[in-house]
Amino acid sequence: MNCENIRQQLPECLAGRLGESARERLIEHLEGCSLCRGELAHLGIVWRGIEALKLEAEPDPAMKERFQATLAAFETGLEQGRLAAAALAAPRQTPPRWAWQVAAGLGLLAIGLVAGRGLSPRPSVTPEIAQLQGQVQSLHQLVALSLMQQQQSPSSRIEGVTYAYRMTQPDPRVEDALLYAAGHDPNVNVRLSAVDALDRYAADPNVRRALAATLAAQDSPLAQVALINLVVKSKDRDCVSALRRLASRPEVDEAVRQRAQWAIDQLGIEGESR
Amino acid sequence: MEDEQIMRQVRDGEVNRLEVLFDRHQRALLHYFLHLTGSRATSEDLVQEAFFRVLKYRRSYQTENTFRAWLFQIGRNAYLDHLGRRKNEVAWPAEAPEAASPDAAPDRLMEEKQETALLRQALAGLPPEKREVLVMSRFLDLKYEEIAAALQCEVGTVKVRVYRALHELGDRFFALRGEPLS
Repeated sequence: MNCENIRQQLPECLAGRLGESARERLIEHLEGCSLCRGELAHLGIVWRGIEALKLEAEPDPAMKERFQATLAAFETGLEQGRLAAAALAAPRQTPPRWAWQVAAGLGLLAIGLVAGRGLSPRPSVTPEIAQLQGQVQSLHQLVALSLMQQQQSPSSRIEGVTYAYRMTQPDPRVEDALLYAAGHDPNVNVRLSAVDALDRYAADPNVRRALAATLAAQDSPLAQVALINLVVKSKDRDCVSALRRLASRPEVDEAVRQRAQWAIDQLGIEGESR
Repeated sequence: MEDEQIMRQVRDGEVNRLEVLFDRHQRALLHYFLHLTGSRATSEDLVQEAFFRVLKYRRSYQTENTFRAWLFQIGRNAYLDHLGRRKNEVAWPAEAPEAASPDAAPDRLMEEKQETALLRQALAGLPPEKREVLVMSRFLDLKYEEIAAALQCEVGTVKVRVYRALHELGDRFFALRGEPLS
């Protein structure tokens, strides 16, 4: 076995993980190779020395509580999904014969109406369809707001944010709810989802101001980075002072401070290129 | 009960069983992220994110690898996403616990302290991918097969990477001590 192969086995040897036959071959090689013996001695000093760099940090009990909250939210979501699937799969009663006859009659009437209206030009969106679209929009707004206010269930609040995504038109009440969730929701996953959903509202200067305020109050590094990304995407140079304050606070996470500095640079470049 | 058996239960719908795996592995995962990021808050967020992804992708769990290998693969992806594909040098914890034998003489204690500081400096200077493989092998005691699964490479590649990382760490350490490079 050549020196290169032997040297690649030295870390395993130092860790005591080398199999018996491999260890015997290695010892046999070392007996006749002073260079590999020297390498083993050097690596041994380093291998033993870095033992002192092993971390002893214990997880904070709050980590477990946070995980349990996520798990509970996930289970609730699964249960709701199961109930919805069961409702869809429930056996339906066969309609009576007269119902089929009425349905067939209504079907023929509908065909006649469609054929008749097809002969005359009409607008692509009828008042009825516009009204229906408005009702769907209102329904999404209602569901989004209702779910985002579920105090006990983070998964419901995330679902509320998802409904906010589905709304075709921005809505001020939903916007407020999203801003509140992004800044104050106790669950970081809800905060992150709300930041994503706020992307479509970022053209509004009021929203951008609120985002800057949220940035200062945020305690999760992941949410802070997501907010910084959104601020850069919205090209809002008014947020630069908030970013500077964040970048200069020593208690703020190092990666967040670096990201804030990056954002300041990006916004500076945007400003110069205008 | 083995991790893999519990994870199969989680995969098959008993998601609350994941709490057992969280209890067993949160510490190792926290240390992994602490070694990579140097930030306690970020590391705690990443532990949550990793276990959330375990829940989300539980159906894709395959039994040919250990749960630990799969968890670290997921954790690593969460960390890379967090970095946002930036190639920054990451901070090393400024103060880490230092081991020294309690009955050592004051001179020896001082020497050990200096050597530990130099090793910390050398480790912080390693490229992130080399630091990562050393952390997995030396600090988290992951087997080469588990590291290979987490890094999605061959076991032979892990063997070469660990050796090269340790060798480079030695070069940097001895250079800091003012000794010639190998």
